[in-house]
Amino acid sequence: MQMVVITPAGELYNETVDYVVVSSRNNGDFALMKNHAPLISAIDVGYVKMVRSQDVLFTVIVNGALEVQDNVISVVAQEAHVGLNKDSAMEHLEEVRKARLEENRKRTQDFLKAERKLKQSIREAKASKR
Amino acid sequence: MSSMREIKNRINATTKTSQITKAMHMVSAAKLQKAERAIKNYRPLPERLSRVLSRVLKSDRELSHSMLEAREEINKTVYIIVSSDRGLAGPYNNNIFKAFQKHINETHDDNSEFEIAALGYKAFAFAKRNGYTMIHDDVIQIRDDVQFLDFRQISDTFITGYLSGKFDKIVVFYNQFVNTLTQHVRSTTLVPLEQNPLLEAEDDDDQTYRTIYNYEPSAQSVLQEVIPMYVTNLLYGMILEAKASEHASRMTAMQSATDNANDVIESLQISYNRARQDAITVELTDIIGGAEAVK
Repeated sequence: MQMVVITPAGELYNETVDYVVVSSRNNGDFALMKNHAPLISAIDVGYVKMVRSQDVLFTVIVNGALEVQDNVISVVAQEAHVGLNKDSAMEHLEEVRKARLEENRKRTQDFLKAERKLKQSIREAKASKR
Repeated sequence: MSSMREIKNRINATTKTSQITKAMHMVSAAKLQKAERAIKNYRPLPERLSRVLSRVLKSDRELSHSMLEAREEINKTVYIIVSSDRGLAGPYNNNIFKAFQKHINETHDDNSEFEIAALGYKAFAFAKRNGYTMIHDDVIQIRDDVQFLDFRQISDTFITGYLSGKFDKIVVFYNQFVNTLTQHVRSTTLVPLEQNPLLEAEDDDDQTYRTIYNYEPSAQSVLQEVIPMYVTNLLYGMILEAKASEHASRMTAMQSATDNANDVIESLQISYNRARQDAITVELTDIIGGAEAVK
């Protein structure tokens, strides 16, 4: 089976898997194995456990849709992260989100400060009166 | 005529300006490439999402969602204006603001009929300057390395506002990226989705429509989850387009600024040469006059 995870930043994962287990807060858990009937589902917050022989990977998802057709599982997610462990992957996702929002806040503050300073300098230089 | 020193100073100043505009042109060109890559990476997502959505909708004609149907009475419209944070981008911001004001004058009698969501500092300043009501108090910047996360919170505000009945329509004003030289101001109705062409994109003859899907837990609940997601992604796509347009517009503006500066330098150089020649002539006349006087 092919497993594809797509996020707004592009394709996050595209590999073959033996089977997957989908777990979400709204739908509970279900497994998808080879030749599964076509299925569409939504994931609010959850994860997809991807198993290939001995390897197990987890893709944590925040707001996503899942489609299964012709042995291809497509997951479209607004936020997703692939990790070895579902808790650590979710933690990473939250850390990234927090860091980005904090950075945005700081940048906006710095930008507004710089803008104010520039306007003040223009006023002091009386540039418009020359 | 200005003195030689004055002309030389102006030539130096204009040369420095042209160096800056040239550097800005190159920076914008690099950023435009990145923005185009971001659009390319983003494209598969709305395609797949709209495919899922159209399959769910076509599985049962009875399915409905409040974001799919236009409300009979539109009391409050939200206008999302996507602008840049910084200037020096040619007519990029002004074109949007002009188109927006024209639309407002044509469709609304009173400012209380709509609210503004300003994405980008310039739009924020524009809304403040004109005294429009805004749905947020803080500036929402559109960074060059724009990410979906940056607009998550504000997108949720739109969606919950629409679903709770606070807003009846959401329209986005943004610059659509066509190519480096062409960007069009577009106003698109984001919600309700009824006239969205993407949802009708697939042909009925397509084989995949004959596939019968199971829905987990049900088609209606999938629809409830997927539609808000689709709307936020559509908005994100527009922001990406606007960002690419901004870089393209800045690139073109800086290129013409560099060309103008070069023209100015050229004409100043001619004036400088003329002034130099005049000075030499005056000096020669003085020398000859002096020599004549000695005789």
